[in-house]
Amino acid sequence: MFPLTSRLRFGLRYCTYTLSKRRSSQHHGICWYTTNYSRKLRGPTAQDVSYFRSILARPDKSVLDGTATHDVMDELQKYNIDWTKHYQGSSDLVLRPQTTSEVSSILKYCHENYIGITPQGGNTSLCGAATPISNEIILSMEYMKRIYKLDEYSGILTCDAGCILQSLHDYAKEAGYLFPLDIGSKGTCHIGGNVSTNAGGHHFFRFGGLHGTVVGMEVVLADGRVLRMNIDADDDNDDDCTHRFQYSSASLRKDNTGYDLKQLFIGGEGTLGIITKVAVACPSLPMSKNVALLVCKSYTDVLQVLKATKEELGETLSAIELIDWNTMKFVQEYGSGIGESLISELLSPGATNQPLFILVESQGCDPESDSKKMDAFLTGLYELSAIENGFLAQDSTQIEQIWGIRENCNPSVARAGFVHKFDVSIGIESYMEVAEEVRVALNTANLSNLTVCVWGHVADGNAHINIVSKQFDKDVATAERIENIVYSSVMKRRGSISAEHGIGQSKRKYMHQIKDGAVLELMSQMKNLFDPHSILNPGKYLPEN
Amino acid sequence: MRKILVPIKRVIDYAQKIRVDSSKGGVQLKNVKMSMNPFCEIAVEEAIQLKEKNKGAEVVAISVGPKQCTETIRTALAMGADRGIHIETKPDVRGDYIDLQPWAIANLLKGIVEKEDGVDLVLLGKQSIDSDCGQTGPLLAGLLNAPQATFAANIERDDDGSFTVERETDTGTETIKLNASGKPAIITCDLRLNTPRYPTMPNIMKAKKKPVETISLEDMVKDLGLDLDEVLTPKNEVVEVYEPPPRKEGETVGSVDELLSKLREKGLVA
Repeated sequence: MFPLTSRLRFGLRYCTYTLSKRRSSQHHGICWYTTNYSRKLRGPTAQDVSYFRSILARPDKSVLDGTATHDVMDELQKYNIDWTKHYQGSSDLVLRPQTTSEVSSILKYCHENYIGITPQGGNTSLCGAATPISNEIILSMEYMKRIYKLDEYSGILTCDAGCILQSLHDYAKEAGYLFPLDIGSKGTCHIGGNVSTNAGGHHFFRFGGLHGTVVGMEVVLADGRVLRMNIDADDDNDDDCTHRFQYSSASLRKDNTGYDLKQLFIGGEGTLGIITKVAVACPSLPMSKNVALLVCKSYTDVLQVLKATKEELGETLSAIELIDWNTMKFVQEYGSGIGESLISELLSPGATNQPLFILVESQGCDPESDSKKMDAFLTGLYELSAIENGFLAQDSTQIEQIWGIRENCNPSVARAGFVHKFDVSIGIESYMEVAEEVRVALNTANLSNLTVCVWGHVADGNAHINIVSKQFDKDVATAERIENIVYSSVMKRRGSISAEHGIGQSKRKYMHQIKDGAVLELMSQMKNLFDPHSILNPGKYLPEN
Repeated sequence: MRKILVPIKRVIDYAQKIRVDSSKGGVQLKNVKMSMNPFCEIAVEEAIQLKEKNKGAEVVAISVGPKQCTETIRTALAMGADRGIHIETKPDVRGDYIDLQPWAIANLLKGIVEKEDGVDLVLLGKQSIDSDCGQTGPLLAGLLNAPQATFAANIERDDDGSFTVERETDTGTETIKLNASGKPAIITCDLRLNTPRYPTMPNIMKAKKKPVETISLEDMVKDLGLDLDEVLTPKNEVVEVYEPPPRKEGETVGSVDELLSKLREKGLVA
């Protein structure tokens, strides 16, 4: 793959860079190569910038050029630094196209000239997938945010990849539909990024993942070719339709006519192509919503709760989320303040030392009967002492507060200190075992001053393990030791080291350990097929050889 | 303190999307999520807080509506109310201003206050979010010839049984003292008064055993010596219910010059 001649992040070695007029201050001097090592990739030059200016309809909006001037450094920073502040790129050029044909022209040029590109949506990646590593051109989808339509019978919503997830929720709600993906960053993230990373979210359990709900897609390949797969949308003046066959299917719920190529781009993290439009099948907006926050004294009780949800709530169950004591404490201290009176009650000294909190949500089409189901569910658990206490939201304000607490977990912990972030998948029975094992191992290894926090989608077996240190760990060795402790605990249970956050920059080095040789080989052959000049998101996803 | 009455109303949950059902001349109620009116929740919470400060006080939740109102009363009981009174209406009688209106409710409540005897305080929400009238509290006070304070943001009870209420006005906060008069104080509650608690499991369980008296509207009207037609015939007729016209999309302009020319075009600027 990419024979990275330098270590990322902490300690970079330099290698000579071809052609670019670099400002010496920021550049990391990393070289990318094409797969067969025949050519080196390069960063953009002033000439390239003029070319881009000439092909884009609104160059003043679409080109953020830092190649010749320092004036736009502040603006460039927000594209170059990721949400977790662990990764910083040194891109000098951001392109913000407005149509698919602009994306296609940009990529065609970059492909021909061996220029590296990092596609970026909302820049909310938690594994460094969306920020450049060196001075790759950032291709931001922020100006491609049209919603084309929502079919009133099929519920299929067709839109640009740069639509902010919250806007899709609002649009679908107006039409009586529910957008099937819901995550904490929905006010910022783009659907294109969500699809590229196969985001899971709160309702994965109920509606399934994007592999099932995305029914159509438009993608631009590295060489500029546009792939249209079961999608029906036109961002006007898109004359690049020499490949559009007039009989190709358009946004159908079912279509079994050929290899389902779009599945490769879902979770492909922008390494095989850039998603420009999506068609997503939305379920009808449920009429009822019931949310309760339960208090369990141990994980064994949580398992009982899980069983009961299947028996009592059945098909109305839409989310179960676990939040542990340490996380709740951080939410109290560093959260936005939402639900603070509830949090005080939850954290008041009670019967058990450090209970676990479970958010249960049910949604259905009959408010009366769904309320009764929720009541029967809670009463049953309370009578069995499987829950010590439960707080049932009685109206929308209280529902928002309970969800607000859950969505505050990530940002609160991020404010509490330096976070070693892990997102793992394990068998539901062993869900808390990894965290417990890690705690013991950290103590044994004399790694103190670390708080292990766990929260996540327990019914999916997906735990977000966040280890918070009060001070910034400049020590790479410590970060690596922690990583080793966590991942070996997960891998020995044959779990996944990335349930939903993806590989990006942070987990590439483990790919050889966790993937079958034949699988890796095919993945790299596929990369070569879709992106023979390796310009898309270099340095990410697939491992170095 | 002896008794605090809290009339509560079951309304469409504030977060629900409202659709107009033109055939029925009102908003669509079928399969829509209902909850306790948010201001009534605040009233219940205040009643419970007062009860906690004054041992021995009894909080009675009252609701007028179809059989599902019992659920709403149970929520009040799960928050800490002691018992409930449900005046059950036939399923097709609408509470959102089409059929039942504040005058009727106020008359029913007056009857209940007199029947209950020993009521020190009636706490109501300042208005319901479906009809937005804000009249029931003041009408009740008028009918009972009782002291009232509306839009309460803070309530203090003094030992002599009087209430000091800070109320919200457009120009600031006004403090009013309701002297103990032998009549119940009538106070309507506004947003800043408190944050309603969550029903918790132990209280939800206890609530299942608390008594709720259900009596049909017809029987209650008879009991109180009122005229059923008087009560059920609305004083105001709803002429039309329609959705507001959809908001027109705005236009994005590329420059200040463009903005100026558009403003001139529309005659908004010389």
